[in-house]
Order: sequence, then C-alpha cells, then structure tokens
Amino acid sequence: MKASRIVRTLAIWMVAASLAGCGAQTAQTGQNEGAQPPGQGQAQPEPAKEPQAATGGELKIAYQAQPPTLDPHVTTSQASATIGRNVFETLVTADSKYHVQPMLAESWEQSEDGTTITFRLRQGVRFHNGKEMTADDVAASMNRWIQISSAGKDHFTGAVFEAKDAQTAVLTLKQPTATAMAILAYGGGNYPAIMPKELIDQADPKGVKEYVGTGPFQFKEWKQDQQIHLTKYADYQARSEAADGLAGKREARVDDIYFIFTPDSSTQVAGLLSGEFDIAADVSYDSVQQLESNPEIKVDVAPTGMLNLYFNKKKGLFANEKARQAIAAGIDAESILIAAYTQEKYYELNHNMMMYYQIGQWSSENGRESYNQNNPEKAKQLLGEAGYNGEEIVIMTSRDYEDMYNGAVAFQQQLKNLGVKSKLEVYDWPTFTELRNDENKFDILVITNTPKPEPSSLAFMRKDFPGWTNSPELDELLVKFRGAPNLEKAMSVYDDIQKWFYEYVPVVKIGDGNSISSSQKSVEGMTWLDGLILWNVSNAK
Amino acid sequence: MNLYLVKRILALIPVLFVVSVVIFLIIHITPGDPASVILGESATAQDVEALRQQLGLDLPIYQQYMNWITDVLRGDLGESYFMKESVSEAIFSHLQPTLSLAILAQIIALLIAIPLGITAALRRGTAADQTVMGFSLLGMAIPSFLLALFLILLVGVKLQWLPVAGYKPLEAGLWNHLKYLILPAVSLGAIQSALITRMTRSSMLEVLNMNYMKAARSKGVKDRQLIYKHALRNAFLPILTVIGQTFGGLVTGAVVTETIFNIPGIGQLIINSVERRDYEVIQGVVLFVTCVYVFINLIVDILYGVIDPRVRLERK
Repeated sequence: MKASRIVRTLAIWMVAASLAGCGAQTAQTGQNEGAQPPGQGQAQPEPAKEPQAATGGELKIAYQAQPPTLDPHVTTSQASATIGRNVFETLVTADSKYHVQPMLAESWEQSEDGTTITFRLRQGVRFHNGKEMTADDVAASMNRWIQISSAGKDHFTGAVFEAKDAQTAVLTLKQPTATAMAILAYGGGNYPAIMPKELIDQADPKGVKEYVGTGPFQFKEWKQDQQIHLTKYADYQARSEAADGLAGKREARVDDIYFIFTPDSSTQVAGLLSGEFDIAADVSYDSVQQLESNPEIKVDVAPTGMLNLYFNKKKGLFANEKARQAIAAGIDAESILIAAYTQEKYYELNHNMMMYYQIGQWSSENGRESYNQNNPEKAKQLLGEAGYNGEEIVIMTSRDYEDMYNGAVAFQQQLKNLGVKSKLEVYDWPTFTELRNDENKFDILVITNTPKPEPSSLAFMRKDFPGWTNSPELDELLVKFRGAPNLEKAMSVYDDIQKWFYEYVPVVKIGDGNSISSSQKSVEGMTWLDGLILWNVSNAK
Repeated sequence: MNLYLVKRILALIPVLFVVSVVIFLIIHITPGDPASVILGESATAQDVEALRQQLGLDLPIYQQYMNWITDVLRGDLGESYFMKESVSEAIFSHLQPTLSLAILAQIIALLIAIPLGITAALRRGTAADQTVMGFSLLGMAIPSFLLALFLILLVGVKLQWLPVAGYKPLEAGLWNHLKYLILPAVSLGAIQSALITRMTRSSMLEVLNMNYMKAARSKGVKDRQLIYKHALRNAFLPILTVIGQTFGGLVTGAVVTETIFNIPGIGQLIINSVERRDYEVIQGVVLFVTCVYVFINLIVDILYGVIDPRVRLERK
C-alpha cells in the first residue's frame, strides 16, 4: 500500500519537475534580442556593411521543409529557392528596394516598342564544373524556364531567347511586357536560374540530373531526408558593387553550409539552444519566448506571405460579388491575424494587394476604407441581398501550415457571428492541393500566398488558379498593365488594379504575416529577401 | 524441419499478394499525388495534369498495378519520384539506422526488463514488487514522444551530455555512431521494457510455483542456478513472443522517435513518402515491412524449438 503511494508521488514529482524546468526558462525575461518590428522597414535592410568577421567554418541550418528538387525551373517550392540560389544565379536580381540590378548580365537594353531586350553578359564567369558561361547556356536555360515554369508560361508565352554572340543574348517577346525585368529579377520559388546547356539538354520532367551553377557555393551532396551540403566555390567571381538585398557582391564567408532537415519544430529549437545548429529557419511561433530569453540567441523576423480568403467564384454562394463583399465587410482582420501569428510583431495590417515591404514600389490608397471594415451589420445586409439562405458553406485549409490553420479556425468563428453556418475541412498539403482544384469541394479556402515581384503574378489573378477569377474588367486592366512600354507606366495602372481588387473581391485580404528565424550570436550578416540570404554570412564560432 | 521452413516461406506469398493490392488501392485512391508535390505551392492544375501524364499516373488503376507488380516479381521495386535512387536502394540505406536503433533499444529494454521482472517475481507482494509494477505502468502509459522530448531537454539542452538530434553512420566510428542513438534508444527501450517486465514477472511466477522448482531446491541447487537455468529458461517462451513482437515494431521504424531525433530510418522514410505521395517508395516499404514481420515470427518459432525440446519433439 505504502509503496504504491510512493510510486504515485514520485510520478507526480517527475511530471512537475519537467514542467518546472520548461517554466524556468521562459520566466527569465532577459533582453529582448533583435526581434525587429516589421513596419519599420527592418525587413528591407540597408546595404550590409562589410563586416570584418573572419571567414571559414560552417553554417548548420535546421530547415523544416525538404524541397522536392533543387532545379528551380521545375518547382515553385520556396525551400528549393532558398537553398538552391546559393548554387544558381540569374541574369538580373533584386536589391532591397526591389529595383532590378545586374547579376550575370552586365547590362540590358529594351527596344522602343518593348518587344526586344538585349542582354550583355559578364565575361569570364565560370560554372562549378569549370566551363565558361556563354550566351548559349543562357539561351538554353531561359528557354527551358519560359516553357516549363509558371511565371514563364504566364508572362512570357511565345517569347524566345537567342544567343546573338558569345556575350549577347536577345529576348524577343510576343508583346511588350512591362513587368518582364521585374519577374526575371525574382529570387523566390521558380526563379530563372542559368545552368550549363549540356545539363539543360539532358534534363527530364523531374529536373536536371546534376546541380551545376555559377553561385558562391557549389552543390556537394544531398543525403535524402537528412541534409544538403554545399561547399564554398573557390573560383567564384563576385560583383564589385556593395551587397544590397540579392544584388551586389556575394561572398561565401563560410566553407560549408549544411541544410539539415528537421521536421519537428521542438527539435529545431532544442538543437539551436544546445549549439548544434547555428540557424533555425522558420521556427514555430510558440518557441519565440524561449529563444528570446536566451542571451546567446538572436531572433529575426521576415515576411512570409499574405493571408487571404479565396472564394469559389465558379460555383456556389460566392459566385455572387455581393456575397464576397459581405464577407469583406464583416470580418475583423486583426483577430484572425492574432490567431494565425500569435503576436502583433509577427503580422501587419496592410490593405495593399502586395506585401508591406513592397510598399515602396507597389502601393495605392485605393481600397483602404474597404479593408478590415469589421462591420457585421453591413455584412449581414449584403448577405441578405446576395440571397444567402442559411446554407452551410465549406471552408477548406491545410494543417501543414499553422498560420493558415489557426487563421481558418478564427475565421470560422467570425462567420458564426455573422450568422453564416460553416464547416471547416482540414487536409494535409498534397490532399489539399488536389481537392482545391475541384469547384464542388469548397466555398472558401484559407491560404497564405507567397509574395511576388509584381502584382499580375499574384495567384488570384490567374483564371486557372483555385478561385477562378473571371473578370473582363481585370483582363483589360492586365493588358494595359503588362503591355505598358516600361515599368513606370505600368505602375500607374496599379491604382486601378487595386480599385478593382476591392470591388470584385477575388479574395479577401486579411493581412501580411511574418515568419521567425533564429540564430546563434556568432552568426553575422544574415539578411532576407524572398528567403534567407546565406552569402556574406559569417560564423565566428 | 526443412519442410516446415519451406512451408512457412511459401505461406508468405498469398500474404504479400493481398498486402500489395490493399496498399496500392489505398494510396492511389487517397487524394493528392506526387505531381502536385513536385511542382510546389503555386503550380496550376494544368501543370500538375501534364506532369501526371508524364509520370504515367493517369493510366487506369489496374494497369498501373499490373505494371508495378510485374516489376516487383522481377525484383524491381521501382524508382522514387523524389530521391535520386531506386526504392530498393532507399530501403537499404534507411535500414541501417533503424536496425542500429532497434537493436540498441531492444538491448536496453532487456537490460531493464529482465532483472526487474525477475526481482519482482522473487519478491512478490513486497515494496520492491510494487515499485517495479508502478514503473511498468508508467512506462506503458507515457507516450514515446513525451519521454523523448523530456530526455532532449534534460540531457541534450540542459546537461549537454549528448547531441540533441541527428545521425552518424557506423563508418564514422562506433562512439560517434552510438552517441546519436543513445537518447532515442533509451526513450524507445524504456517504454518497450514496461511490457517485457510484466511478461517476465508473470511468466516467472508461474514457473516458480512448479513442483520441479521445489524439487530442485531441496536437491540443493544454488539460488543463481535455480533462477537462471531452471526458472528463467522455462519461463522464457512467452517472453520471447513479446520480444519478437516488439522487435518487429522497432525494426519497421519507430516513426515518432525517428522524426523527433532526425534519424533517417525506415519510419522517417515512410512518413516522408506518405507526405510526398511517393507511391513507389510507400508500396515498396510496406511490402518490405510485411516480409520483416513474417520473418521475425518465423525466427521466433524456430527459437521456440531451440529453447524448448518439447516443441522440437512435437514437430518431429
């Protein structure tokens, strides 16, 4: 009798001790290290100063998602871009203000009518296999990108790259495309990497057989489901301009980078705290307190995407514009954002179609009053006018992204307050990507959209993307937008596009979200633009 | 004996056939396929459909099954959609970590369970017995991930005695290999030991009460010999069954433990492949796992014959 009481007490003490252990760490307030508030442009850092940090050593990065392939032409995966762009480079790239800057191309000229762009390439750039890069490689890579990538097919239909001579590649567009350079400069998923012509010719639908690029790091090894190992490319020819965003000088300040795939977020954090990882990318929001209270750890915030409500405009209640405007009027965006991102510093209330860090280039006052109206009365009235009769609507999302899921749960609650009956269906990612293509399966999707270099690339602009935007007014605007002779003229159409956005309501924008990355104090120089930037990063350990 | 072995192995074939049909149907009927995973978040339905055709996923399901099963019968398990290797290579390379982990966990489990079980049986009804049973209950109740996370926090982060996660193969040195496996093996082994402890205790209790035990003691056989040679050996058969079953589970991959500790074993292979809908790998691994279970059962049966002469004679 007594013994089993001893056992019971022991068990309770063991549990209590472990809970106390966790609590003790979070109770230390310590200094609030480096959690930079997004709105103050911290995500757009000024050009990195040249730190005097020593070079050498390694970076061990705990990364949650393993990319399907490192071949960027084939996949839109952001994980593939973040890892792969250390190995591959593009003709042009973006600086911290999203202006187009040279990378593998030294300069470019657009013809008067906007249908031809002539790129003059840098001389003496070598691929990791020693071959010198010429216009033949550029033409082969870019033509493949045009044919199989999403952006290529959407914006560059019928366009062709030709090698005029060894140092000159000419892009001939079927019609003037104002946004061409901005899209070519994009460094996120599906970016237009330049690879050797031979590898392009031998590629199959799953991707190129070898990863050979021109970047500051070269591909060493991929142990499936374990890690990807990149090593410094000793013969890399960096640009001379100061580093700014993705542009300018790229230097490999460490000898090895390891992307270690850690699907479990608590393992990521534990590994960072114990010193086994140098960087933990995209940690879960719950772990932030534990990380911030540790003086050896820095926490950084970077934009992750826009949380949007996608309407099924092909079938069902929301084929009616009034119903969509009703939802837009009725929701309280802030509560949904808090549910999704847990703290104010991890989200931005932003009425623009593009993200808060793109406001310098793409912003408009139009629609501000229609954003986050939080007016349930107006919503109920509009729903009545739209003919809502108490049917149950289906909300669909995926559990694999915590911001989408938590946002969807909060949204469902708000719908209830508007008198709308709803059912929330949650699936894993592959199931979700399949079911969302079926107009019979949902009324509203809760999705985070990755930011794009220019507005016409946003997913909800496409007729074939779930939601099925079909607006003649938009079609006209897009023709004007894309057909403008240059980017300046295109930007003036943006105002009208945003006006359309708030009238037609293809999606309801909830807000902009941030993700959190964390690193050891010894890691210096890490910045972000469409993914973590790992060149110019040193590890003093 | 040989005929017995051959009969058992032949019985494997209908089992594998049924399993192959079931797993093929289940994963092909489930929504989602490798094409959409390969193409990423922003791919359109058109692109996915095009890739699906290129990969042969739009053929009627029975045709896809026939293509696959005829290859399997020739020994070709297929090729992964994601990893640049064949399914057989993938299984083989992921097997070593799981095997090491399983063996280490099983050793730890036995080292804990058998002495504890014997002690509990010998001191039945006392405080020692109650304590052992209490721990056994705790072990069966605690979810494996809780113990794993607790160990990581204590040993990995606070004390920093052992690495938090990861894996190094045997080629990197024995200690290097083992130090990554200790925490996961302890968290798995401690939980396995709970059931084995109970089994050992009850089996021993049964045997200790037998008449031949009293006879042996009155003949003057020493205590140690009594316990190990006479009692344990007779009690061992049910314990062996439990060990066989739990080992089967360990080898086929402790999915949660492997995920938390980042061990690239069979468990992680199957979970990742399901998430990515890597059909060929999932099917191959399930067939492999079926064979493993059947073989382990076969070995346990043979060991019965080795340990207990009565079984051997019965078979003749």
